[in-house]
Amino acid sequence: MTPLQFENLYQADWDELDKLLAAIRGKRQEQRDAHGERVAALYRCACEQLALARARSYPAYLVDRLERLSSDAHQAIYQQREFGLGRLRALAAREFPRAVRAHAAYVWIALAVFVLPTLIVGLIVYSRPELILSVVDAETAAEFERMYSGTEEAIGRMRGAETDLAMFGYYIRNNVGIAFQCFASGLIAGIGSLFYLGYNGVFFGAIAGYLTERGLSATFYSFVVTHAAFELTAIVLSGAAGLRIGHALLMPGRLSRRQALVVAARESIVIVYGVAVMLLIAAAIEAFWSSAVWIPPIMKYSVAAGCWIAVIGYLTLQGRNAR
Amino acid sequence: MRDAEPAAKATAPESLDTVVSAETPEGIVIELRPAGLTARFYAYLVDLLIRGMALSVIAGFTAPMGGVGLAIVLICAFAAEWLYPVFFELSGWAATPGKRMFGLKTVMDNGLPITPAASFARNLLRVADFLPLAYGFGVVSMLTRQDFKRLGDIAAATLVVHQPKAIPNMALSNVEPLAPALPLAIRDQTALIALAARAGGLTTDRLDELAAIAAPAAGATQPGPATTRRVLGVARWLLGWR
Repeated sequence: MTPLQFENLYQADWDELDKLLAAIRGKRQEQRDAHGERVAALYRCACEQLALARARSYPAYLVDRLERLSSDAHQAIYQQREFGLGRLRALAAREFPRAVRAHAAYVWIALAVFVLPTLIVGLIVYSRPELILSVVDAETAAEFERMYSGTEEAIGRMRGAETDLAMFGYYIRNNVGIAFQCFASGLIAGIGSLFYLGYNGVFFGAIAGYLTERGLSATFYSFVVTHAAFELTAIVLSGAAGLRIGHALLMPGRLSRRQALVVAARESIVIVYGVAVMLLIAAAIEAFWSSAVWIPPIMKYSVAAGCWIAVIGYLTLQGRNAR
Repeated sequence: MRDAEPAAKATAPESLDTVVSAETPEGIVIELRPAGLTARFYAYLVDLLIRGMALSVIAGFTAPMGGVGLAIVLICAFAAEWLYPVFFELSGWAATPGKRMFGLKTVMDNGLPITPAASFARNLLRVADFLPLAYGFGVVSMLTRQDFKRLGDIAAATLVVHQPKAIPNMALSNVEPLAPALPLAIRDQTALIALAARAGGLTTDRLDELAAIAAPAAGATQPGPATTRRVLGVARWLLGWR
């Protein structure tokens, strides 16, 4: 068969497949399904004809036409619609808490790397407050003291809804960014995640120790305790996800390093989805609830207790029995 | 010319080409052409420019709105930094506007469309590529690998590829088909057809020169425009015009 005969014989099929592919591009699932059978049949024919055209060394334009056609159809047919509502529900109801439990060892390590510096530095700074200056400079320390001091510009005073909103934006940009960095820098053999966890632990511990020693614990703890349930947990979880990646790179086990990395990234990214949502919740609480001074501390502490129980309960129990 | 020299391909196992082959379940091989540092750098610059301009426009519009405006700008900055590439890679384009401008596209390294998980992974892991500064690790990774993956691409199993441009159909309508003067092997037939396909892009002198090599197949001896017409005629005959 000459190339010309070949082309004339199948031209109509190729044009039809082209048209169908253009028709289903960007359409909803039901509309795509309507054409599914015909597209699949034409795609299989195109694959067969491509193999023939290659084997018979047909001219480049013909092989190219078939390559593009089958490649386009391949993309359309094997397109994964992973992020429908159902998938989001599955993520929240099962996959995220399960992924956290599957990485329990990493979570404990990340927790230790975060909490130990917090406690140690917190106690040291509490006993010798001047040491705060080795963590932050004098200006920042004064700034924090002023923020929680109960004076006019303090964070506990009444502030407008606009400032609350601006802070909401700031917390999102800042905190989610830190969590993503904490995760991604785990690719450098886990060192980046360890660094971010430890650094945040030291910083938080120093500030907490310093403010407690200054007698500002009432404003400080009632401010941080509620959103900490989401924020600190999320930072620890993102660090754990980063450690998983670094561990896969260092000790790939029975896989090649590359395969281990791909598997680790695919499994740990589920944790990062959850972390991002937790940090959005944390940002909302921090901006609109924690900063509201008209709420009595006892109220804040009870809500905080509820949040901590909910977060820990969700991570440890949710999705255990589901299929 | 990828199908014009099957024999050469078979005898040269170590190819200089950077093509990545991916086999589909239907048993055909899809060839992916990974995009190198230069194209991706330009695409990145364009994206940076687009994001910068969009943010400054938003900042300009929301400036009079005070705290609300600031909140909008900060959230948009967050989205531009982390979600912009993910959004466009998961759209029908499978490429950010910058990549699209340079004919690039992000796919899985088995030729499939990129999955949400992979898109998130490769764009979050950008942080690791950025270290120690100015995409140091990413650049080193891309320059040392044959498929030009940065670290995020390796972990997410993705690939940034050139979208192939269509090869135009050959225009040979002005020559008379001519049966070959002697039997031609498949390889010779392929070479003749490939020559005819390139005829439009060659100078007449060069075309004459190349056609002279195939002169015996067209029953001619002297190189020249007449021989060239006869050789192209043979090519047209081989294509199926009788």
